[in-house]
Amino acid sequence: MAKIELTGVTKRFGKMTALNDINLEIRNNEFFVLFGPAGAGKTTLLNSIAGIQLPEQGVIKFDGEIINKIDPAHRNVAVVFENYALYPNLTVYKNIASPLRSPLYKKDRETIDKEVKRVAAMLRIEKLLDRLPSQLSNGQRQRVAIGRALVRSPRVFLMDEPLAHLDAKLRHYMRSELKEMQSSFNSTCIYVTHDFMEAMSLGDRIAIINQGRIVQIGTREEVYYMPCNEFVAALVGEPEINFVEGRLVKQDEECFVQIMNLDLISVPQGHELENRLCSGEITELHLGFRPQNLKYCFEEKKGCLHGTVYSFESIGNKAVLIAKAGDTLLRMIAPNDLKVKLDQDVFIELPIEKAIFFDARTTDYIGIFDEEAVRRLSQEPQCREVI
Amino acid sequence: MKKKKIFTSICKNGLLLLYSLFALFPLFWMILISFKSDAQMFNTTFIFSPTLENYDAVLLRTNYFRYFKDSVIVSVCAVAVSVLAGVPAAYALARYNFKKKEDLAFQILSFKFAPEILVVLPLFMIYQKAGLYDTYTGLIWVYQLITMPLLIWVIRGYFEDISVEIEHAAQVDGYSWWQVFLKRLLPLIKPGLVSASLLAFIFAWNNFTFPLQLSGTKVETITVASLKYIASDTVHYGQMAVAAAVSALPAVIFALLIQKHLVRGLSFGAVKG
Repeated sequence: MAKIELTGVTKRFGKMTALNDINLEIRNNEFFVLFGPAGAGKTTLLNSIAGIQLPEQGVIKFDGEIINKIDPAHRNVAVVFENYALYPNLTVYKNIASPLRSPLYKKDRETIDKEVKRVAAMLRIEKLLDRLPSQLSNGQRQRVAIGRALVRSPRVFLMDEPLAHLDAKLRHYMRSELKEMQSSFNSTCIYVTHDFMEAMSLGDRIAIINQGRIVQIGTREEVYYMPCNEFVAALVGEPEINFVEGRLVKQDEECFVQIMNLDLISVPQGHELENRLCSGEITELHLGFRPQNLKYCFEEKKGCLHGTVYSFESIGNKAVLIAKAGDTLLRMIAPNDLKVKLDQDVFIELPIEKAIFFDARTTDYIGIFDEEAVRRLSQEPQCREVI
Repeated sequence: MKKKKIFTSICKNGLLLLYSLFALFPLFWMILISFKSDAQMFNTTFIFSPTLENYDAVLLRTNYFRYFKDSVIVSVCAVAVSVLAGVPAAYALARYNFKKKEDLAFQILSFKFAPEILVVLPLFMIYQKAGLYDTYTGLIWVYQLITMPLLIWVIRGYFEDISVEIEHAAQVDGYSWWQVFLKRLLPLIKPGLVSASLLAFIFAWNNFTFPLQLSGTKVETITVASLKYIASDTVHYGQMAVAAAVSALPAVIFALLIQKHLVRGLSFGAVKG
């Protein structure tokens, strides 16, 4: 239970800047996800909050109290390490019990036994309690590492890719379990991941980090529908978003968008988006289309982009169809049983009302048609905040 | 197929037997002559009338146990000092990054490169001036050249094998740095520590050059004292054999006690995956 604030946190390793002026405010009891590609600085940020690494600049506060100079033990945080960091000479039981046996958080024997058993049951490792970490599979080790964190009730849980090494089914189960547990525990949780599914499903809010900087903080809807630049748009979503080149054309005081070499499309008048698009200096655009929003057909149709089938890949319950139009590859979702031949002609419909507009020069977000809808979606009260 | 198996097994065991004969025969011979009287020393091989005369002469009628005690004091203290100073040094070399780290580590190892006889003369002069000559402190100090490098290098490897996150995890669990070290790290380096200490002890125990040059009459280790049985008129081989056989006992006993750790400790890391 803690509100965590970071102001201007900067961490360098030699000449490399791992964290660059990080400003964050994590609310009490929030499930906060740090999401970014490998080497973005996610783990370093987590370690700075845990007190394992000390930032050169900036202030870290727990509930308004500056904790920069407090050692990890006294910060009362629980950490799940990415490489498990289990004590190899202790059994699973003793590993999980370790925090409760430490001088600082000492509990009596019965409490320890009860808590360890409870956590073990939740993580489905009751049968492994007498084993050594070397006798476990990676997934089991990871669950023990999670157990060691969950056995306490710290001010904040810090989890560094805790599900990365689990098999798909277990990951699914653990994901919902973690979410469930966090809401019943009433504690703040900071969760690092590079998996966008985890980020989207777990996070109350998501911070996207790249090269030591926070790129965007928002709810899952904001991050998905209104990414602040092309980097975020590409990072969130699977299959990846399609970027198509476009131009702004002004004719007789009116503003048109041209996508590739298709016909001009008028921008709806009086719309917020029109203001942003047409009042500025912007001429070159990038339009982002989510794969599920692109439609394809195999007969020529007006207003459709002509391309050829580049690849067709089944991923279980659906398939990804990639078409090549000019130099651009477009990913689309197709039913699994679609019969296509490679290099076959395909016509792609680009619905402009679903497009995300980016400035081609800066790659920054300009707007979408219906920002209001996204805002409404992300502000919908979630059950547990009502409680 | 089965024949071939038996054949290889015979070959293997035959070679091992040959080697053990080669390795153990000198020891056997030493024990044998420790029971021979001086008169039978050169005119008998295996058949002789065994006597305890030599044991009586060495163990009861000389200061043998004083020498033995000196050896124990010097070797044990040398190993203790090495452990107390070497483990933190190994930790620093494994965990921290500082300038010239590898050079320093190599420098420590290089203490073992030079033949002892090379450094013993200057050391003799220094010890005379510094008042360390013929003292326990002086010998314990100079033994660090033998015991410390080995210990530091073995333990450093162990610390490097332990991922730093284990320390972090223990800190987060609520242990202070000292508790982390004693409760979490020490058990992990124990096999290495035990085997390296034992080897260091044996090296210190067997050392001859340093006590020969740097100690006199007040502190006499058993290796140097054994020379006393070469008298001016005759060499008492039997008595020397007794002195050597008894002085080999501590090392043999320790090695047997921790035999399990010894090989594993020096060949495996701390964390087995």
